[in-house]
Amino acid sequence: MQTTLDADTTPAPAHLANHPTHWRNRGYAHHWKNRDEDFEASKFGMWLFLTTEVLLFAGIFCGYAVFRMLYPDAWSNGSHYLDWRFGAANTVVLLISSWTVASAVRCAQLNKQKWLKINLIITLLCAVLFVFIKLKFEYYVKLGDGKAPGTFFTYAFAENPHEVLWWSLYYVGTGIHALHVLIGASLLGWVLYRSWKYQAYGPTEYLMVENSALYWHLVDLVWIFLFPLLYLIH
Amino acid sequence: MSNHDTHAEEHAHGHPVVSWQIQLGVLLALLFFTFATVLFYNAESWVEHAFEIHLPGWVNIVGAMSIATVKAILVCMFFMGLKYDKALNTFAMLFCLFCVGLFLGFSMIDLDTRDRVEPWRKAEASLGGTGKSLDSPPIDARFDANPSPSVSTGGLSIVEFRRQQKLEEKGSEEAFWSYYYKKHAEHQHSADINNYFAKLGYDHHVELPTANKAVPRHGLTPGLFAAVDPKEAAHDKSADDHSDDSDH
Repeated sequence: MQTTLDADTTPAPAHLANHPTHWRNRGYAHHWKNRDEDFEASKFGMWLFLTTEVLLFAGIFCGYAVFRMLYPDAWSNGSHYLDWRFGAANTVVLLISSWTVASAVRCAQLNKQKWLKINLIITLLCAVLFVFIKLKFEYYVKLGDGKAPGTFFTYAFAENPHEVLWWSLYYVGTGIHALHVLIGASLLGWVLYRSWKYQAYGPTEYLMVENSALYWHLVDLVWIFLFPLLYLIH
Repeated sequence: MSNHDTHAEEHAHGHPVVSWQIQLGVLLALLFFTFATVLFYNAESWVEHAFEIHLPGWVNIVGAMSIATVKAILVCMFFMGLKYDKALNTFAMLFCLFCVGLFLGFSMIDLDTRDRVEPWRKAEASLGGTGKSLDSPPIDARFDANPSPSVSTGGLSIVEFRRQQKLEEKGSEEAFWSYYYKKHAEHQHSADINNYFAKLGYDHHVELPTANKAVPRHGLTPGLFAAVDPKEAAHDKSADDHSDDSDH
């Protein structure tokens, strides 16, 4: 298997050669034995954080399961109100963005500065597209119909008193997920900025790319489960 | 730069780099499984309508969730790199999933055994978990979440309350429904969906709430609220009456 040792060895451009933020000039904290230990420990920290994120969404999934068992009719109605095509479109958007962000990590590992930036830009465009589809075709239309959570619910044609609960769960689940999309996009935007300005990431210094990518993949993972639960299961 | 030149061992090995062929292959597999889960959903709806049968509910759930699990494993192994990482990262995530399993599992066990009321606690069995019902509230007061009288739903569920509001606003049942059809005709995609369903060979109009076509089903604990809530009782009863001709 190819390793980061096989990276492209193109030297830094003259104006960045001595810049402390350029990846070649980055050291590691003195309490680590070597660069690898620093990297692995930080990455493990990120995985621990991701487990807490999984537990956050587990609460929502558990609420979904409990209410679905108690009120299967309302849940069946709820999923029929949603159009699977928008859910599927957003799934494809997130999968592609997950691929480009994985490619971005690969490009940082191999010192492909140009493609690192291109991959990050495509990922950010996917994030914008995801939020756009969510707001324009889903939230906007549904809130316009009065299909809102809790006491904001004004839809006059509901069939089941527990449909309000479905909408609350729908907005909390997709809303917290969309918040994660925005946070992930901000992290990747920060990576793009530093990469653009300082070539801050390369074969020996790509932890921030790796961890932001892990966060982005988690956003994708959650949607992989939210999509069938909300749109396909009836 | 100078401080890590003394550590020669770090130059002995680099981090593994996943090849672009594997990454592209995983993306294509993920897109294929997305297509498969949507196809499965549509095929299932089509089979139910074409042959006028009702597949058991678990077919839908097991199909969708197992495909989602395969997709999640692909993302974790290749995109998140667990396959190439130290086992510790995988262990942390698996332990977390074990805890999620406990969380979901015990919630399900609780729901599944709610209707088992042992004799020794039978006297205290009561509605819901809020303890409100111990004071024997008026029927449906549990829907009336807002104590302020100016916005009270008058003991109606919010769904019924909003329907009454709209009926009063429109004046008659007829005006109410014509408003409904006009409103839903505005959705540009509804025509497309109807054409699509017509192509599949069954009439399924999205202007009507598809909710009407839901399969009548019961919760795990049918009749749990029946004793205190006539509406639930009536709902259970009418669902039983229609169970023979449940298709349309």
